[in-house]
Amino acid sequence: MTTNDNKLVTTRRNVLFGVGAAGSALATGLTTARAAEKQGGQVTDAPVSDKTQERQSFYGLHQAGIVTPRPAAGMIASFHVLAETPADVERLFRTLSSRIAFLMQGGTPPELDDKLPPADSGLLGPVVPPDNLTITVSLGSSFFDDRDWLAPHKPARLSRMKAFRNDALDADLCHGDLALQISSNTPDTNIHALRDVLKNLPDLMVLRWKQEGSVPVLPPKPDGAHESARNFLGFRDGSANPDANNAALMDKIVWVPETGTEPEWTRGGSYQAVRIIRNFVERWDRTPLGEQERIIGRKKATGAPHGGGNTEHDVPDYSKDPEGTVTPLDAHIRLANFRTKASEANLILRRPFNYSNGVSKSGQLEQGLLFICYQADLEKGFITVQRQLDGEPLEEYIKPIGGGFFFTPPGPQDESDFVGRTLLQAAGHDVVRKS
Amino acid sequence: MKLKLVLSVSLLTLSAAALPRMANAEVAPLDLVQPIADYKIYVSENLETLVTDTKAFTDAVKAGDVDKAKSLFGSTRMSYEAIEPIAELFSDLDGSIDSRADDHEKAEKDPEFTGFHRIEYGLFTENSTKDLGPFADKLMADVTELNKRITDLTLPPEKVVGGAAALMEEVAATKISGEEDRYSHTDLWDFKANFDGSRKIFDLVRPLVEKEDSAFVTKVSGNFDKVDTTLAKYKTADGYELYDKLTEDDRAVLAAAVNTLAEDLSTLRGKLGLN
Repeated sequence: MTTNDNKLVTTRRNVLFGVGAAGSALATGLTTARAAEKQGGQVTDAPVSDKTQERQSFYGLHQAGIVTPRPAAGMIASFHVLAETPADVERLFRTLSSRIAFLMQGGTPPELDDKLPPADSGLLGPVVPPDNLTITVSLGSSFFDDRDWLAPHKPARLSRMKAFRNDALDADLCHGDLALQISSNTPDTNIHALRDVLKNLPDLMVLRWKQEGSVPVLPPKPDGAHESARNFLGFRDGSANPDANNAALMDKIVWVPETGTEPEWTRGGSYQAVRIIRNFVERWDRTPLGEQERIIGRKKATGAPHGGGNTEHDVPDYSKDPEGTVTPLDAHIRLANFRTKASEANLILRRPFNYSNGVSKSGQLEQGLLFICYQADLEKGFITVQRQLDGEPLEEYIKPIGGGFFFTPPGPQDESDFVGRTLLQAAGHDVVRKS
Repeated sequence: MKLKLVLSVSLLTLSAAALPRMANAEVAPLDLVQPIADYKIYVSENLETLVTDTKAFTDAVKAGDVDKAKSLFGSTRMSYEAIEPIAELFSDLDGSIDSRADDHEKAEKDPEFTGFHRIEYGLFTENSTKDLGPFADKLMADVTELNKRITDLTLPPEKVVGGAAALMEEVAATKISGEEDRYSHTDLWDFKANFDGSRKIFDLVRPLVEKEDSAFVTKVSGNFDKVDTTLAKYKTADGYELYDKLTEDDRAVLAAAVNTLAEDLSTLRGKLGLN
């Protein structure tokens, strides 16, 4: 039987190739099938990727990992910082920056005597590939509050995250003096980076919590168009995200403004809100499709809004639907973004990942959304949006359990610079730029 | 305190030619003879204390004196914790003396769960010495057997030197959480003993390292001092505060010191040319 089946498949393929009229989608399918045929590899062979040499730059006005397109794997790691004095904080910032610079660039770690522990964990092999890695450093409210000399320089809108209405915060998953957002093409690259940082800064940083996440990978579309990825509720997430390639828009929405009440050292920085939002996926999967779509405010398959449109990029017109007959007034997308002139002040740039952690004591899946967003003003951004969402019908299916608010300082200008330098200078600490 | 001649013999057999590239070529294998001999004395003294203290502790358990047994629990463990890297060379005894409930499938109810923590569970959770008699007898017998076995043991230099880091790895991996003495919360007593045990090893080989890397020695001593200062804040007349008194900040200070000591001391064997 098996032999016959194989023959049949082969014959059909030959026929299709012979015809040569297969559409591009079909051709893609065939290429994949042929590639699989050619492999003949062993079960333990490493999966192959042509993206391991993708590289992001660590240097610039802004830190990498904010407007950088979100890769498939992400992580937030939160730390207690033990550096108290300006000298120790400088050592922390400098060491972090030099590790990040190496990890994002990739390369060969130093070779040590084999009687000593190796300099690198080696989990990515003897040569560390960049693999599209970014590590974004952010500072929590306590980082400033707990250091008298830094307290006067705290970003104006930075606060300790307070529980919102639907939150059930777990103290072991909240806040932190410093957070690293680590993202790259693979979870292994992120873990490698985290282990490197931990190994190099054991006396200044203690890991408090971390959450890893992923984004489902899609095949490229024939017309080169991009689609928003789906969350664990099966809906497209980030559909209404502002265009990260529009620098003027990002200046308005993401980066701390040139003028205003923010301390000058924060220019080029951004506020980061992190939320670990558990999804009750079993219950969600037992909810009628129509109800799911009313709760979210979009069609599940296409992401299109109700009342017209074909994709998630189509914009709903709420002015023609004041009663909520098309999109319910309490639908998630409607409460999250009123789409009025005034609500433009509340736009945020979302960069979330899906997470899956195991099984709850009740035998349900512990999974949900590692929500991450960036904004120029934390209060007008995430805090306002979340207050609008408080009480939404979706709350029956989600429970925020952790996260925190952080400030992401501007990026290092070049190799002589480091993340956090402008803060130290603002605090009167003499910093020597050295390469 | 009978030093075994075997020890020095075994070290003498390490000819320089047989040694591959050393991280620190200046330290000759013979230089380690005295520190290891001194460490053996330290181990013997601790074992002597352990036997004496365990006798008093198990006697109190068997006499049904819950309060006295409770008061002796933290201090009795200290001499064991100080020499744990050596005690652990005998995994059968380490399991029956010091395993925790979660090392066993049926946790506290598991018949294989014996030793200090089984008695701790009875004393502090059930507040009783009921049914603890057999566990007390077994602990006393195990400790006596441990003493006998270690007395006859040639201490492998790499185990001794590696023990300084191993103690820190233990604390970092499973103690900083307060899970070791989960019923009595006497974890700070264990910490103190673990740090003292680690520092003892470091101090014994310190002169050998100092010549080559004085910055390393200064850094490690500084971190041991930081631990001492932090633990001293929790000292009471007869021991240490319960672990839940430890503030989150101090826990972080200890965690950072432990992690840093673990990182630094992980190079100690290499620095002394040991595999």
